[in-house]
Amino acid sequence: MEITEKKLDNCTIVGINGRLDTTNYSVLEKKLLELIDSGNTRLLVNLSKMDYVSSSGLRILLMALKRITLAKGKFILCSLQENIKEIFEISGFTNIFEIYPSEEEGLKKF
Amino acid sequence: MMSYYIHFTDPNSTEMEDFLNGIPTCPGTCFFIDINKSTDLKYIGGLPDWGRKLNNTFNFISLLNDFPDNIVKGIGDEIMLFIPDEKLRQKKTISTYYQLLEEIYSTVYNIMTFPVNDMFLPCKVSIHYCTEVYNVTFFKGANDYYGRDIDLTARLMTKALQNRIILSEKFYIKVQNDLVNLGYPEDYGCLASVSGKFMETFRGVPESTEYRILDA
Repeated sequence: MEITEKKLDNCTIVGINGRLDTTNYSVLEKKLLELIDSGNTRLLVNLSKMDYVSSSGLRILLMALKRITLAKGKFILCSLQENIKEIFEISGFTNIFEIYPSEEEGLKKF
Repeated sequence: MMSYYIHFTDPNSTEMEDFLNGIPTCPGTCFFIDINKSTDLKYIGGLPDWGRKLNNTFNFISLLNDFPDNIVKGIGDEIMLFIPDEKLRQKKTISTYYQLLEEIYSTVYNIMTFPVNDMFLPCKVSIHYCTEVYNVTFFKGANDYYGRDIDLTARLMTKALQNRIILSEKFYIKVQNDLVNLGYPEDYGCLASVSGKFMETFRGVPESTEYRILDA
């Protein structure tokens, strides 16, 4: 898995490339916690290149959502691949995350 | 792999004895996953409420989706999942004992902390690494596993509570070996929350069993 980061005026865009699973979830956890703890509480996570997510990966996204909600920030996901969208739907994650089809649409919500 | 089908009409058959002696063990990881309090729910909300939450919860338990052919049996709201080592090694997404533990821990944690109420039911889990187990069935076409270690996995469940995972020491050692091979510290990930060792003599099991507790 590779993580990219792009800072804009009103938010930070984090990109996840590849598989998010038990072998690497801690890398994403560290990155998101660093961002949130340093005051970057307006995050847009682009999942267009994430092709697999396990329960441990979902746990990190859930943890980030809770932290950012507590900090009164905004946590948005965008550009989910079809198989990922299916996992989110089955697991009820579409009910709790703000999800948009593209990065542009996600950015408009900040 | 298909189960060895045991079916002999002569109760004193020497052929049966030879057959049984020739059945190999099938080492692997056994999970019992119990949905907590779902019996109560049947009396409160009836099938629509109970069925919806059970459906959501089973969908949410990713191991069941990752290993759909390894769900050996479901008795009401308790599921037995057996993953033979051979099958685990072939898997691309989850191929170590550590990953099995981390996935089930994350699932229990996600259910416990899910921000929308009334969607899932809490679980309790027992896990054991089995060596005394045989892939046999007494019913044509069925796939099943029998053995002392399967019984022990069920016994471990007596120590589980809501949002709690009970893991036998045998399974814990397998997980620790994985961490060494992966180059991770021994308290990596959910291992940081695993308790010290407990010991118990379970009903029907002659020797004491060591186990640990992992609370989500």
